Amino acid sequence: MSANMDETVSVGYEAWADALRSDRILGVSCSDCGATYGTPISVCHDCGSRNLESVDLPTEGTLYSVTRVEVPPTGFEGPYHVGIVQVGAARVTARIETDADDAPPEIDDSVVFSGVMETDDGLPAPVFTTETS
Amino acid sequence: MTRASVVGTGMTTFGVHESSLPELFARAALSAYDDAGVDPADIDAFYFGNAMGGQTENDTHLAPTLATEVGLAGVPAQRFEDACATSANAFKNAVQAVEAGIHDTILVGGVERCTPETGKGTGEMTRIFASASHRQYEQPTGLTFPGVFALLTKRHMHEYGTTEEQLAHVAVKNHGNGTHNPRAHFGSETTVEEVLDSPIVADPFHLMDCCPFSDGAAAVVVTSDDSAASFDGPVDVTGVGHATDLVPLGLKPTLHATQAARDAATQAYEQAGVTADEIDFAEVHDCFTGAEVLASEAIGFFEDGQGGPAAEAGRTALDGDRPINPSGGLKAKGHPIGATGVAQIVELTEQLRGEAGDRQLDDPQRGLAHNLGGDAGTTVISIMEART
Repeated sequence: MSANMDETVSVGYEAWADALRSDRILGVSCSDCGATYGTPISVCHDCGSRNLESVDLPTEGTLYSVTRVEVPPTGFEGPYHVGIVQVGAARVTARIETDADDAPPEIDDSVVFSGVMETDDGLPAPVFTTETS
Repeated sequence: MTRASVVGTGMTTFGVHESSLPELFARAALSAYDDAGVDPADIDAFYFGNAMGGQTENDTHLAPTLATEVGLAGVPAQRFEDACATSANAFKNAVQAVEAGIHDTILVGGVERCTPETGKGTGEMTRIFASASHRQYEQPTGLTFPGVFALLTKRHMHEYGTTEEQLAHVAVKNHGNGTHNPRAHFGSETTVEEVLDSPIVADPFHLMDCCPFSDGAAAVVVTSDDSAASFDGPVDVTGVGHATDLVPLGLKPTLHATQAARDAATQAYEQAGVTADEIDFAEVHDCFTGAEVLASEAIGFFEDGQGGPAAEAGRTALDGDRPINPSGGLKAKGHPIGATGVAQIVELTEQLRGEAGDRQLDDPQRGLAHNLGGDAGTTVISIMEART
């Protein structure tokens, strides 16, 4: 048997979601070429390897981009901020929160992983909060 | 080298339509038959695009339904789905099929209804559009499609200093072009001040930076190079590039590059044997004003970072040196998702035939269409040339 099925599952979405609910952000890293991805995939985009291992991504990062959504989809109450956070070598999409008195989040702001939100249909998403200086 | 030719075009007005998807599509298809001078018996296959009919109207398996509506029952009919690049992908496959000799003459088209005529309002339609973002890693954050393009554009503004005023100039230009297009959803001018004073949808985009929800259909008749000479007014397809990028957004190495567009453009230019400098005009996927700026750089019309200043300086206007979206683009013409890619081909064909009326460019010889799907995960670029 060429592939270890358990290992494949260990780096998939369920593991990512479970980890998120335990205050960890899982990415994957390629054992063959070292490329790191912010969300699990089954095959390395850089070298084609299937030897991807889960890695804990840093819980502090910087905003790579961010927007304030004022017209939300059904199931969400706006306005809110969604951003792409650079965490180490990877990026993750997350809800971005600020303290009430803080200015709106901007690119290059320092943010810290502060928890998880969950949709009505049970899908989790990471939440980062801007660090007050 | 000619890969295929477009010999007939048809489209509905883009806007609000009460008609069912089959009847709406039929108006575009029958116009395309008439323009090409063909009967259904002359059509060998049907390549069709609809992105969201299952979600918006509980309507799927549309290819044979629409084929039946327009007299094509019996021919091979297939539906394509690639978010907003849906019918450009149908067009690409049709070009390949006639080039390979699989079929000689094909009806290619798309149809979509996105307005409240579907029974769905802004929140529900925003949710359906967001289904083109990553289900597990993006949708749960509440990301919307204006939000997706806001993230791309915000990074571009950060890298190059692109301004909200420059973005607004894209809307002003496309609304102006739309006033010359009788099929456009919006037929009125706007101003930079009006754009900047309109409410925020997802910053930096105001409502007037965003294309509307539209209903509409577009169709073209595509035939082989050999057969094209027997039609009036054939316009040649000399390149079709198609590329994908990593999804979700967090996996893309450079967010604002829209790499799939760059890769697809490279393919299309190589096939056509031309450079960006030899393209007289482009129809690009301006679902949001920022998307047009990014596209204008990705197709090589401007250096990276110069798309915003070029828009502000009027270089992309009808009388500019690099006209973009003479039709009014998605912004003013409208964006019925599955019809948009083929509607761009309709505009290229009309411009290259010299039949574009008040928005006609000065004797263009070569045009490019840029149709983007999802979070820039898919892009199809087509190059067409006047037959001399």
